[in-house]
Amino acid sequence: MPTPHPPPAPSLPVWDLPTRLYHWLQAVLVASVLAIGFLAPEWWMGIHVWLGYGVAGLIVFRLVWGVFGSEYSRFTSFIFSPRQTWDHVRGLIRGRPPHSIGHNPLGAVMVFAMIATIAGIVATGLIALGGEENQGPLAGFVGFSVGDGAKEVHSILAIALLVMIGLHIFGVFAESWLGRESLIRTMISGRKRLPPGAALLNPRPARRRAATVATACAGTAIILIGALAGTVPASGLIAMPRQAAFQEECGECHEVYHPSLLPRASWLAMMAGLENHFGEDASLSPDTDQAIADYLAKYASESWDTEAANRLRVVDGAAPAQITATPFWKRKHGEIEKSVFETKPLRGRGNCAACHQDAGSGRFDDQMIAIPEPERPSL
Amino acid sequence: MRTLLILPAAIVLLATASAEAAPRRALLDDFATQAKAADPGFTGFSASRGETLFRTRFTGGKPETPACTACHTASPLKTGETRAGKPIEPMAASVTPDRYTDPKKVAKWFRRNCKSVLGRECTALEKGDFLTFMISQ
Ligand code: HEC
Ligand code: HEC
Ligand code: HEC
Repeated sequence: MPTPHPPPAPSLPVWDLPTRLYHWLQAVLVASVLAIGFLAPEWWMGIHVWLGYGVAGLIVFRLVWGVFGSEYSRFTSFIFSPRQTWDHVRGLIRGRPPHSIGHNPLGAVMVFAMIATIAGIVATGLIALGGEENQGPLAGFVGFSVGDGAKEVHSILAIALLVMIGLHIFGVFAESWLGRESLIRTMISGRKRLPPGAALLNPRPARRRAATVATACAGTAIILIGALAGTVPASGLIAMPRQAAFQEECGECHEVYHPSLLPRASWLAMMAGLENHFGEDASLSPDTDQAIADYLAKYASESWDTEAANRLRVVDGAAPAQITATPFWKRKHGEIEKSVFETKPLRGRGNCAACHQDAGSGRFDDQMIAIPEPERPSL
Repeated sequence: MRTLLILPAAIVLLATASAEAAPRRALLDDFATQAKAADPGFTGFSASRGETLFRTRFTGGKPETPACTACHTASPLKTGETRAGKPIEPMAASVTPDRYTDPKKVAKWFRRNCKSVLGRECTALEKGDFLTFMISQ
């Protein structure tokens, strides 16, 4: 005999489908992008950036839906006065929070804070991408130092967002327990129990057409502007003609190092002492030496605003001509197994191109890193 | 006696080796003229002296490069490797046909490698011996 069900408590559709979809999609995207940002190796950068664009798209949608969505998705429905917020906090402290149909005042604060923080993370991420990596729509507009600063803010905001997510989840569980209604289930079904005696409001319906048009317009505008901005050449890179003598003479014993990888003084000192070049005589005829020295001086790191040029400009005083002795290089490559460098196909730390597929361009993009599998010694 | 045999043999080999032969002979002729100027008793180059130069471990040069074999391997037929890990085509003319055909390249590398290994420039006799050995391989 099936037990008769109690009559279902009256419930109200609160979260419309787009809001629920937005919420869970954004939860998954933000969790992935944060996990990759904090934990994944550098060459996951491409995925991180694409997920970031996804997050940005969702934020744009949420802003539109905050204006045209149904009642409880609209921003105006969850802007509370400080007094209402304080009342809610007091109720919480007493263990009896006043019932809210849509967002409660604390939840509302959290929603706005999270949207703003995520928007801030997207913005600083774009600036860092353009400034530090010379990639993305802002590559032509921001320099390295601005990008580097933005990256700091990006990281701090990301940590703040982690804390907010923690508080948000804690708040959801706390309110679910105190209010005897699972807010998680609410965000899945969209329906919320109506408290006894609560007056049924007359909720405003969603303006779907307006929302569609607004989302389409905003999306198209953003993509167009982004694509247009992306056509501006990256500000950190300059046009560098190939010099045949440099390519030939400096590629005989090892790969040709990009001139942006050392400062002018280091190159000139190296070119003046080729008879004793890292334990070898690499001397050239005086005129070839002079031509290459001029070329290197012209295109030394001072002429570039890439990450590699900016970071590797700080050389080791005892070995100013050795890229692999710079503090930045050592820090970035310190965790790579020694055996990787010693075995084939690498055979030496100086073989940048073995791991950096774009070493020849001086870009050293995160996405272009792939450490080759060391070959097993053949017996 | 042996040198006297090898020299004509090398010349015959050179003469039959078409395109590469002329520049190599010019190089050897040049070294021979210089060697004669340095030592009027010069009678010809020797592949075995060249091999000795190739294999000897020297102490006068840079500690990183004690011998030609450090980079060119003990066999002229094998692919060598620079200290930075870049492969070097085998030195034997039979394996790498365009070896010793560009006088500028030959001069540059003799200057560099002799300074690195021996700590001084090689003499014309040493250079001629070395080339004779490599061409015979
Ligand atoms: C005769 C061989 C030879 C030639 C020619 C040569 N190099 Fe080198 N170079 C070396 C060796 C050997 C090292 C040290 C590699 C090592 O320790 O792994 C080196 C190291 C370097 C480094 C430091 C790499 C690092 O590990 O940070 C730079 C930069 C460099 N060379 C630039 C040049 C330039 C510029 C030229 C052209 C003028 C040139 N080299 C020509 C043999 C050569
Ligand atoms: C064994 C492979 C390997 C070699 C060889 C190698 N790198 Fe790297 N490099 C890496 C890895 C992996 C990273 C990312 C490290 C991290 O997790 O931050 C990196 C990071 C970098 C970065 C920072 C990139 C960024 O955007 O954060 C620069 C610049 C760089 N390398 C330059 C060089 C130069 C110059 C050379 C040659 C002298 C070189 N690397 C040789 C593997 C290599
Ligand atoms: C530090 C490594 C190294 C050592 C040691 C070394 N070589 Fe070389 N040698 C090279 C490289 C690199 C080349 C140029 C690469 C190529 O031609 O394939 C070269 C080229 C040459 C060439 C020019 C070949 C040609 O095709 O014209 C000669 C000649 C030569 N070496 C002689 C010597 C002699 C003699 C010694 C010992 C005294 C010696 N090398 C030791 C690295 C070395």
